[in-house]
Amino acid sequence: MINCTSCIQALHQYIDRELSDEDIVQVKEHLDACRGCLHQFQFEASLRRLVRVRCQQLQAPESLRAKIEARLASERRRFLNK
Amino acid sequence: MTTEAATTRDRFEQEALQHLDALYRTALRMTRNPSDAEDLVQDALVRAYRFYDRFEQGTNFRAWLFKILTNTYINSYRRKQGRPQESSLEDTEDFFLYNQLSNDGDRVTDVEDTVLDRLGADDIQRAIDQLPPQFRTTVQLADVEGLSYAEVAEATGVAKGTVMSRLFRGRRLLQRALWDQARGAGFTSGSKVHQEQPSPPLPDGEGSGSLVGGRRR
Repeated sequence: MINCTSCIQALHQYIDRELSDEDIVQVKEHLDACRGCLHQFQFEASLRRLVRVRCQQLQAPESLRAKIEARLASERRRFLNK
Repeated sequence: MTTEAATTRDRFEQEALQHLDALYRTALRMTRNPSDAEDLVQDALVRAYRFYDRFEQGTNFRAWLFKILTNTYINSYRRKQGRPQESSLEDTEDFFLYNQLSNDGDRVTDVEDTVLDRLGADDIQRAIDQLPPQFRTTVQLADVEGLSYAEVAEATGVAKGTVMSRLFRGRRLLQRALWDQARGAGFTSGSKVHQEQPSPPLPDGEGSGSLVGGRRR
């Protein structure tokens, strides 16, 4: 089994789902057996969620959507006249 | 325009507008100014529309749009904005917040149990805005918009290894900046900052003691 240092080093990539299947198994196995690393994993994952969920509340202004639709329509006319 | 071309153009508009919120959020982090962000998104989408024939169908449309956004920003806006403001953020150890919040063997497992949960969208965005530009965009794309390393690499025009190192350094800086936001908002007083802490005292003259005393009389 991998040790704590290797597990913590792989933690970001594990949360990012960027590890190979083989490495995922190794990290999971360690997390099942080690509370310290498990807590750290849970905390980092919850922090990542907090940042994503809060920041995704921000939406583009409706007026921007309208402006873009207008500009794309005028681009479309230019294509049409070519 | 042929029917086929018209259909292609319709498809562009439909697909591109699905990513409007994400593009706007990212543009806002790049420019840190709502009016510039709106202009940047418009310019990027017009460019994407013009170059849509060059987009290889079947490849990643979202990463392609972000790449055009990044290039438009670099070519037109960064110059206009002048020298990027130097960040005064201190670099920190990895997992800074976890270490700050876990004391004496009492380990936190969820941000919901800490003062960080009181940070609103504005606070978190302000924290991201403090990162130096290359880290800011990388963190925004990966951690807010959920792009993979490969997608961020395409969007920002660097190798995947560079994305990873920017992301890891950017996250360290972000943890520091989030901590500073929490401290600046008065959510933390010392290093131990669990939610159980009593709420901060009210400003002078509004303390509950005097009000209760007055009513009792």
